[in-house]
Amino acid sequence: MRFKAVPAAALLWCSAAAQAHNFHVGLTEISFNPRTGSTEVVHTYTAHDVEALLMNLYQRQFDLGLEEDQAVFRRYLEKQFRISVNGKPVALQWVGMQANVDSINVFQEIEKTTLPPGVVLVDGVLTDFLPQQVNNVNVSGPGRPAASIVFNRERREQPLP
Amino acid sequence: MQRVLVEGARASQVGVADSAGMGSVSQRQLEARTIYRPGELLEATPGLVASQHSGEGKANQFYLRGFNLDHGTDLRTTVDGMPVNQRSHAHGQGWTDLNFIIPELVARLDYNKGPYNASTGDFSSAGATAINYSSRLPQDQAIATAGQNGYGRALLAGSRDGDGGDSGGAGVPGGWLYALEAVHNDGPFTRGDNYRKLNAVLRYSAGFANNGYTITAMAYRGTWNATDQIPQRAVDSGLLGRFDGIDLTDGGQARRFSLSAAWARSDEKNTTRAHAYIINNRLELFSNFTYFLDDPVHGDQFAQPDRRVTSGFEASHSWHDHMDDMAWSTTLGVQAQNDNIFNALQHTEARQVLAAIRADHIVETSAALYLQQRLRVTPWLRGEAGVRLDRYRFVVGEARAGETLASPSISLAFGPWSRTELYLNAGRGFHSNDARGVTQAQDPATPLARSRGFELGLRSEAVKGLQTVLALYRLDFDSELVYLGDAGSTEAGRPSRRYGIEFSNYYKPFKWLSLDADLAFARGRFRGVASTPGDEGGNRIPGAVEGVAQLAATITPAGPWSGALRLRWFGPRPLVEDNSVRSKASATVNGRLAYKLAARTTLELEGFNLANRQLSAIDYFYESRLKGEAEPTAGIHFHPIEARSFRLSLNHAF
Repeated sequence: MRFKAVPAAALLWCSAAAQAHNFHVGLTEISFNPRTGSTEVVHTYTAHDVEALLMNLYQRQFDLGLEEDQAVFRRYLEKQFRISVNGKPVALQWVGMQANVDSINVFQEIEKTTLPPGVVLVDGVLTDFLPQQVNNVNVSGPGRPAASIVFNRERREQPLP
Repeated sequence: MQRVLVEGARASQVGVADSAGMGSVSQRQLEARTIYRPGELLEATPGLVASQHSGEGKANQFYLRGFNLDHGTDLRTTVDGMPVNQRSHAHGQGWTDLNFIIPELVARLDYNKGPYNASTGDFSSAGATAINYSSRLPQDQAIATAGQNGYGRALLAGSRDGDGGDSGGAGVPGGWLYALEAVHNDGPFTRGDNYRKLNAVLRYSAGFANNGYTITAMAYRGTWNATDQIPQRAVDSGLLGRFDGIDLTDGGQARRFSLSAAWARSDEKNTTRAHAYIINNRLELFSNFTYFLDDPVHGDQFAQPDRRVTSGFEASHSWHDHMDDMAWSTTLGVQAQNDNIFNALQHTEARQVLAAIRADHIVETSAALYLQQRLRVTPWLRGEAGVRLDRYRFVVGEARAGETLASPSISLAFGPWSRTELYLNAGRGFHSNDARGVTQAQDPATPLARSRGFELGLRSEAVKGLQTVLALYRLDFDSELVYLGDAGSTEAGRPSRRYGIEFSNYYKPFKWLSLDADLAFARGRFRGVASTPGDEGGNRIPGAVEGVAQLAATITPAGPWSGALRLRWFGPRPLVEDNSVRSKASATVNGRLAYKLAARTTLELEGFNLANRQLSAIDYFYESRLKGEAEPTAGIHFHPIEARSFRLSLNHAF
């Protein structure tokens, strides 16, 4: 897997032009793993969008293959993606991250638990940066119907069915 | 987790750059460099050398593309859009004091060599470098450094993001960035520089760089003693040691305060940017380059105080669009700058004023309008055309002058081959001359001295891991700014022409190793007949560097160790116009070795001039007289390069 270095100026000054070329879609799969007994959360984002986001937050480039640089995106994601039940935050463990030339995958889990009823999801990942960003969240698990919810800039907090 | 392979740590410019002399240096590359003083950050620009010929707080001496740029005559430097060059400065036109830079805050260094960019104006003919500070740091940092020759440094820097998270649209909660720095350095000199620096930055930012705003305050204060250049004859005769000084009261004090704001809005088809700044600079500078030549009793020390308020703004709007492979953008920008300056030249003894030679109140105002049109016809053919219109007004006391100048430029990039591009650039640029020279009644200098550049470039990334850049250029100036070593000032000189070749390579054969090899050669000559009697015989440009090379290896294995070695070769220079006296080339090696003690703590050893070579940082040829000498003597005067020294740093992130 390779991570392509894109010039800083292109990310900063031409990000708007680049935006026009792409669809800005994020995908989050929330599912229960019966083998581990944990709820797994897997996010997929476009690598260019994440690079442009970090460049416009920090004015510098990061190598998302390095753990210390992954921490920068982790800090952002943990702020922008949260799960709560009855107003109480649910602890999402950071498992890891993978980056390649096209996409960024983030792995999180809620240890030893299924998603209880009454879950509220906040997903503002990249929607604060890109007005056109759409995040599709697919949820499945024992005892709950599979559902697909769409998050965007206007709809960043929604209850799970 | 699978590790990601990084294809090139230096970002690719293929498909992006307008010329071979355009590039960007990342924070990580800057971090891997050994930096004796902040001005050396600019040496990340291939072919650029920054040296020091006096006390540590003085502006550096720069060399690029066959120019002796003195303190920044044809090298434009900006920090977050604020101009660093001080025009009509008491000591030298374009004075570029970079001591207020905190390297740890620098997110990126962008450079652009040659007069081919409509958005940069004054002083940018040899090149323009833009330093960009971060709005936030990945981690807070505390750094403590101790070194030989009285070196000590403490830095505390960090950022805090506001809470709230619920940003909705573009309104990411605001964040603060702060940095505090204290430095002490004596250098190798017999009478130490006792350079004391205090430096602070505070920034509030909201949103993103492309959709948001920042407000920044900076404060810097430095005081120092200076060991100015000394005559070679005094060292040869054993009268002086290499690190001795002559006038022990030379030195100075500099202060800089600035307040700036930047704002940007962008969407799919439009980008609007605006920034404004107000800068207060104060300099007290006491120098003595000729000792007892003019005044055998009191000595020749002179003071060049300069205090000024610089205010300005820049606003630009870009429209961009695309259709299939074609893409285009149009940028219209406006810039304005005003300098309200009080400066003087005084004859002093031990920093006490004996006589005021001149004292001036200068108001220099400029405005510019520029238009840039970019067009990408196909993925292998694109171009850029631009024009800027500058209007300058100089007021010195009752005297006035002004000029309007148009500077067009055009660039073409053509690359039908595998990751290889050819560039063709042509453009006009200029530098402004000192307002005092422009408004003088007798034989006034041209207000804006025009330059014309032409360049052929090649950039290739066809070989995996190797980035190669080759540039051939010609640069003509209607009037060269010449530094007068004995007078400590610059004057508008004869027309000049330079031919040069630059060859830069960055090779990353393995993940843990990167190699740099940058070579630059230039041939600079005056054109026309010398106006100074006695100089008719020569057309060499004193101090113009004929070659520069940097070779470096940076090693970053997966373990706790990392390091770098860098060799800098600073080529020969003619010191007089008939080329009868020349300065020798010099080569120095710097290195660094870092060891990660813990995840967040690193110990770093930096070594400077590792071979302990006894070389000159700068040489001049002029007349001087030492106390006790009956007659003035012409000869080489030099400032030594620092002896081998080490610095040990403890860096902690938290």
